[in-house]
Amino acid sequence: MNEREMDEVQKLLKQALPPVGESEPRRDLWPALLRRMDERTVRVPWWDWVLLAGAALLTLFVPGVIPALLYHL
Amino acid sequence: MRRHPLLRAYLAGIAIPTVVLLVVMTGYTIIRYVFNVPVPIERVIVFPMAAVPNAWGLWNVLYVAFLEKRHFSLGLFGGVLPLLLAPGGLVVTRLLNFTVPREVFHYAPFALPIGLILYYLVWKYFVGFLNAELEIA
Repeated sequence: MNEREMDEVQKLLKQALPPVGESEPRRDLWPALLRRMDERTVRVPWWDWVLLAGAALLTLFVPGVIPALLYHL
Repeated sequence: MRRHPLLRAYLAGIAIPTVVLLVVMTGYTIIRYVFNVPVPIERVIVFPMAAVPNAWGLWNVLYVAFLEKRHFSLGLFGGVLPLLLAPGGLVVTRLLNFTVPREVFHYAPFALPIGLILYYLVWKYFVGFLNAELEIA
């Protein structure tokens, strides 16, 4: 493709694609992104910690439960 | 990404047990063939390998289809699943004439609440995370 053809293709592409009106977003998106990231933070309530600790302690004091658990998987 | 929410729910549901079962089955295989434990696990291995991930997937489909809009707890819904899987596993062992070690029944009163808690937590946090990532919950 020579120089003239390149110019021709460039011109055709510019005609086919309308110019973008606004290059900047209408509002600042950064606070919304920060808010979204905060929402994604996992908050574990205290009762879930209690359940997890209870299960861990039970497994610790009754280790024979581990094969039974695996069996029931 | 709004299309096929039930398909995405199914995929989110099967992801966790598929990964966990890979680890567990590797452990079982080592126990069986390296340490020569005389328990013919391979006769019943089809149940956890095939049925459990599918059950998780279908359970998540049920949740997304009927309960997600009512804001029912995913953890509680997932925590109920062992109450179906454990009897299902026992039925399979009976059908295949697989002798369940007596210790399994001996420790069942301890194993069941631990299983329920683990399922509750895994469904609440891990499956919930996948559902959120796939924009279905």
